[in-house]
Amino acid sequence: MRKSIIKLENVWKTYTMGNVEVNALQGLNLEVKEGEFLAIMGPSGSGKSTAVNMIGCLDVPTKGRILLDAHDISKLGESELAQIRGRKIGFIFQQFNLIPTLTALENVALPIVFQSVDRETRRKRSTELLEIVELGDRMEHKPTELSGGQQQRVAIARALANNPEVILADEPTGNLDSSTGETVMSFLQKLNRKEGKTIILVTHDKNVATHADRIEFLKDGKIIKSLNRKGG
Amino acid sequence: MRRDEIIYSIQNLRKRKLRSWLTVLSILIGIAAIFALLSFGVGIQNYVNTLADESGRDKLFIQARGIGAPGTDDNFFLTDEDVNFLSKLKGVDEIIGMYFSGGEIEFDNVRKYYFVSGIDPDKIDFVEETFAVSIIKGRHIKEGDLNKAVLGYNYQLDGKIFKKGIKLGDKISINGNPYEAIGFYDEVGNPQDDANLYITKEAFEQLYPNKKNKFGFIMLSSQNGVIPSELAERIKERLRKFKNQDEGKEDFFVQTFEDALATFTTIINVINGVLVLIALISLVVAFVNIMNTMYTAIIERTKEIGVMKAVGARNSDILFIFMFESGLLGLIGGLAGVIIGYVVASIGGRIAAANGFALLKPEFPIMLIFGCLLFSFLVGAAAGYFPARRASRLKPVDALRYE
Repeated sequence: MRKSIIKLENVWKTYTMGNVEVNALQGLNLEVKEGEFLAIMGPSGSGKSTAVNMIGCLDVPTKGRILLDAHDISKLGESELAQIRGRKIGFIFQQFNLIPTLTALENVALPIVFQSVDRETRRKRSTELLEIVELGDRMEHKPTELSGGQQQRVAIARALANNPEVILADEPTGNLDSSTGETVMSFLQKLNRKEGKTIILVTHDKNVATHADRIEFLKDGKIIKSLNRKGG
Repeated sequence: MRRDEIIYSIQNLRKRKLRSWLTVLSILIGIAAIFALLSFGVGIQNYVNTLADESGRDKLFIQARGIGAPGTDDNFFLTDEDVNFLSKLKGVDEIIGMYFSGGEIEFDNVRKYYFVSGIDPDKIDFVEETFAVSIIKGRHIKEGDLNKAVLGYNYQLDGKIFKKGIKLGDKISINGNPYEAIGFYDEVGNPQDDANLYITKEAFEQLYPNKKNKFGFIMLSSQNGVIPSELAERIKERLRKFKNQDEGKEDFFVQTFEDALATFTTIINVINGVLVLIALISLVVAFVNIMNTMYTAIIERTKEIGVMKAVGARNSDILFIFMFESGLLGLIGGLAGVIIGYVVASIGGRIAAANGFALLKPEFPIMLIFGCLLFSFLVGAAAGYFPARRASRLKPVDALRYE
C-alpha cells in the first residue's frame, strides 16, 4: 500500500462576493498517493482552480482539513505555507509564469533561493535540471528569448528545483500547440515513471488527461466521478 | 543570507523604466544640496578648530562698546591706565592694547579705505600668535619704524585692492602721509582681515593724534592653569570697579577667544542648518516620488510576486526585496548626489577663495560621504516600506490571477 501524500477531508471554500456567498468547494474529499499521476477534470466553474489552490497550499479552506504528509496545513500561517510550498510542491502554470528579468537558469534557481541553499549547490542543481529538460544550451536566455514550449520546460525544471514530492500542473499545455504540448506531457510522464514523482494535473483536455493513472471529475465543488485507468 | 534577494533587486533595477530614473533625479538634488552644504560646514568648523588650536584658547579680548568695528566709535575706548591695571591682575599673562581706525590708503593715485592697526612692536609675537598670522614677505614692524607699514595679504595681489600689487619697498600713503611697504602677512582667508595695515603704536599716535590713548580693544592671555572664562568674569568685575561703572552699564565687554569662536560658529551653524532644512524638504518630495514609483512597480509586478510566493517566498522575503530595491533607488540618487555635490562645493569653494573668502573651503571627510550615502539608502528604503508591505501581504492566489 502506497502512503497518502495529500488528503483533502470534507473541504469547503466559500467566497463572499458582495452580499452573495459562493461555495466554490462543497465538501471535497480527495486522496493522492505517493507516486501517483492524477488528473483532475471539470468544466469551468467546477471548482478546479480552487481545488488546485488548496492542494498547492496557496490558499486555506473555509472548512475541512488538508493533510500534507499527514500534517494538517489548513491552519498554518502564510509564511509557513510558503516554506512548505517551496519544499514539497512544484508548480507548473498555464502561462508559464517565468520572471521576465531573470535568465532561464535564475528562474530555475528561484525556489532554491528561498530555501537558503548555498550558491554553488544551487547553480549545479539548476544546471542539471535544465539539462534534463534539454535546455542546457539556453541557460542564459531570458524568457522572452525562448519559445512557448521552451518556457514551459524551464517552468518544469523550476518546479523540480527543490526536489519536491508533488508536481502540481495547472493546464500545463493550455498555451501550447498540440505537438509541443505532447512533448511537455511526455516530460511529466517520465518524471512520474522514472523519478517516482507524484503528479497532479488539472486540465479540461481529455487527450492530456489520458496520460494520468487516475482521473477525477469535478462538478459544483465535488468529485462526481472517478476513473481508474491503471488500477492500483 | 539575503545575497540572492539583493542580486534580484539589482537585476530588477536594471530593467527600470524612465519613471524610476526621474525618481532618482529627485533624490539626487536633495542629497547634492545637503552634501555640498555640509562640506562647507565641516570646512568652516575645521578652520575654526585650527584657529583655536593655533592661537590658543587662553586668549581674552576686552572691547570698548560702540557702534561698528572696534576703535571706530570715539565715544568709547580703553586706555593705557586700563591696560596697566589689568596687567597687574592675577592670572593675566601677556597684555596689549591695540589701536584701530579706518584710513585712506593711496597707491598709484588710487584711494581706498581700509583699517589701520597700531601695535606695540614689543608685543608683535603675541599679536601674531593670537591672530595666527605670520609674515610671508619682508619683515615685522619694529621699534622706531615711523613711516613703515606691514600690509595684509591682499595688497600684494594684482587686481585685488589696487590694480597693480604692491611690492616690498613701494611707497604708499596713509591719510596723506608717506609710508613704505616693509612686509606682508600671510592669507587669513577673509577679505576684511586681508586688507588690514599694521604700523607701530608710535606711528599710529602721530597719524591719529586724537586717538592717542584710546584703544579699540585690549588683548590678553591667561596664565597657565587659569581658566579663561573665570578670568573673564574677574576682569569684568575688577575693571568695572576701576572705571567706576555700575554693573550692567559697563562701556566695555570681555570675551574669551572661545566665546568669540563659538559666536561665529553658532551663526554659521544656524545659517547652514536652515539651508540643510530647505534641502531636506526636497528629500520629502523625493520620498513621495519613490513611494509612488514603488506602488506602481508593485502593481506591474503583482503576478511576479504571486509566482515568487508560489515557489516559496515568505512575506518577509518579498518585503525585503522591495524595500531593498527602493533603498537602491535612493542609494543611486545619493551616489549621483554626492558626486554632483562634490563638484558644486569644489567650484563654490574656488569661487569663494577667488573672492577672498579662503576660509569658505569645503571639506569632504569620508564620514560625510558615507553618511550621505547611507542616508539616501535609508530614505529610499523607508519610502519603499509601505509599498513593500502591501506587496508582501498579497495573497498568492490573487496575485497569480492578476493580469
